[in-house]
Amino acid sequence: MRFPWQKSAAEMCPAMPAADAAHAIEVHGLRKTFGDFVAVNSVDFNVGHGEIFGFLGPNGSGKTTTIRMLCGVIAPTDGGARVMGYDVCSESERVRENIGYMSQKFSLFQDLTVDENLKFYAGVYGLSDEKFAERREYILTMADLHGRENEMTGDLSVGWKQRLALGCATIHEPKLIFLDEPTSGVDPMARRQFWELLHDLAASGVTLFVTTHYMDEATHCNRLAFIYRGDIIAEGTPNEVKGALMRDTILQVEVDDGEGALAALEGSPGIGEAYMQGSLVHVNIGERTAAEADLPGLLGELGFDVHSVEPVEPTLEDAFVHLVTRQKEASS
Amino acid sequence: MRRIYAIARKEFIHIVRDPRTMIAVLIMPLLQLFLFSYAVSFDVKDLPTALLDQDHTAISRQYVDALKQSNYFVVNQNLASASEIDGIFDANKARVVVVIGPGFGDAVAAGRAGAVQILIDGSEPNSAQLGQAYANGLSQIWGAKTAISRAEASGFNTAQAGGLSARTRIWYNPEGKSASYLVPGLIVLLIAVMTVQQTANTLVSEKEQGTFEQLVVSPIKRIELMIGKVMPWAVMAALNVITVSAIGLLVFQIPFRGSVVLFAVSSFLFVLCVLGLGLVISARASSTEVANQLAMMISFLPAFMLSGFVFPLANIPPVLQGISYLFPSRYMTVISRTVFLKGGGWDVLWPQVAALAVYAVVIITLSSLLYRERS
Repeated sequence: MRFPWQKSAAEMCPAMPAADAAHAIEVHGLRKTFGDFVAVNSVDFNVGHGEIFGFLGPNGSGKTTTIRMLCGVIAPTDGGARVMGYDVCSESERVRENIGYMSQKFSLFQDLTVDENLKFYAGVYGLSDEKFAERREYILTMADLHGRENEMTGDLSVGWKQRLALGCATIHEPKLIFLDEPTSGVDPMARRQFWELLHDLAASGVTLFVTTHYMDEATHCNRLAFIYRGDIIAEGTPNEVKGALMRDTILQVEVDDGEGALAALEGSPGIGEAYMQGSLVHVNIGERTAAEADLPGLLGELGFDVHSVEPVEPTLEDAFVHLVTRQKEASS
Repeated sequence: MRRIYAIARKEFIHIVRDPRTMIAVLIMPLLQLFLFSYAVSFDVKDLPTALLDQDHTAISRQYVDALKQSNYFVVNQNLASASEIDGIFDANKARVVVVIGPGFGDAVAAGRAGAVQILIDGSEPNSAQLGQAYANGLSQIWGAKTAISRAEASGFNTAQAGGLSARTRIWYNPEGKSASYLVPGLIVLLIAVMTVQQTANTLVSEKEQGTFEQLVVSPIKRIELMIGKVMPWAVMAALNVITVSAIGLLVFQIPFRGSVVLFAVSSFLFVLCVLGLGLVISARASSTEVANQLAMMISFLPAFMLSGFVFPLANIPPVLQGISYLFPSRYMTVISRTVFLKGGGWDVLWPQVAALAVYAVVIITLSSLLYRERS
């Protein structure tokens, strides 16, 4: 049923190229606008079967909008995508049957027990009783929840909730799972355990599409795409992405007043980017050597007490700061 | 089916496990029923009454006795002079003051009309109006009785005399008991408020918790989600109809003169209508606060003001009468009162039942269309 003024799926969805069995996800010129705001600006990328694909970007850059289009929840403004071979626009129901989805909110019902949550999602995905018994056993083992089946979900620790949420999202054994910031707000220990689970899933042939803003987690991914203000500004393996900084030198500076030093450096000539990395300042000095840049001298003149300056191996975070800065300069 | 069942089961667990919902659903309607039936009584009885007898004759005392014997007035003060009357009203010591002027007894004895002045505190319009009517009635009856006994005493055969006497009888609710007309209307009000409120919240709260996000990426269809979510509330509404009616019949002794089947069918249609209204709100409201306010606007106000529950629909302005047709409560209130008190059947109530059926189809269709829309 639909209102007369609502378009049918066929009218709404642009024609898509034929499915390519090699890819779990194929994205062709996918675009979404909300009024004048371009949330996702005609992006293209592919994700192979069994890959852990990292989809990175700052908040508000279009990550969640992209995921929602790929899950068939919102329709693209233009372009389209195939997920597990199905058009996300015209075959969104098929798409939803074949994917798992887990968000940072761990969509669990807090006032239901562990078992009731599992049973609910088993019902939603139409599992038979035998299948449910088998999956329940598997998930309880995977999430280390044996003996807690009748505990209220709201009383579980965050790590347990997170693993239960993963269990519920994968109760129907999807071959592709979208994970939207699955580790935000979880302690480092639980995060590591969680990534071990994800690696196990990937090893069994499941494709994982993960968004995160923890750069250390990005290194777990086989491939990355970095989205910034609706555009994908880098794509490739972690090493390929870091390659953008191949010729640049990054210096790590330990100084008393990090924030002050940062402000002073940002305006100085010859400094590519400067930013905080924990309590330390990272400075990109471009293709010059540390001696040429002479940060201790520069900062000393400005009255900062510099403890140490040493060159470091560029990290993914260094690469992204560089890419974002370059993108900002290009668009201004 | 499996998916609808999964949703309905989960929804039941939410309801049963949340004490606030359980209280709101099962205890509140009963509480309101008792509150409305006992506190909001339109019966006027035992009006505190002050008396200023300036006549002091045997006849004036007879009149005062008649006043005292009625259930409507309690004479609790005797005033000495007219100057005290203002003070009595201001201090809320009496709602009615009866003044028997000097010469009352002489006038009655002489066969003329005796004059009694009745002062009524108009600040409480309902008791003022009824008090006035009772006092007038009482005085007329007493006057007539006195006249008749006087005539008979003088050898006049009153049975053969002409003249007109109006005999008023109130049908269906002869004692004029408030509970009898309140409870059937109240059932409608309580069902409307509870059902609209709860269904309006059901999806919105899921959106706020973030669990909605998970459901929309599952293969579940909106229509399945909708049916699964309202099913428990339909059951709750049915339970409420039964408990409130039972208490009305057993505790308040209101009659049930009509067809149980007719009442059950109309109740079912009415519940569908209010579920539909709740779902329309749920599809559109952005937060639980908005949903609650809209639910109040759409359920309580029309069911209270525009259903004939309190104010007779014929007496409200034409514009509001027109608006009242847009809400299902007005049809159900008529059905409920007719079935409970008058025993009317399908032959008289079919227009209301048909209206509810059409309303249910339209509103459920509308809400499922609203749910289907994608952003």
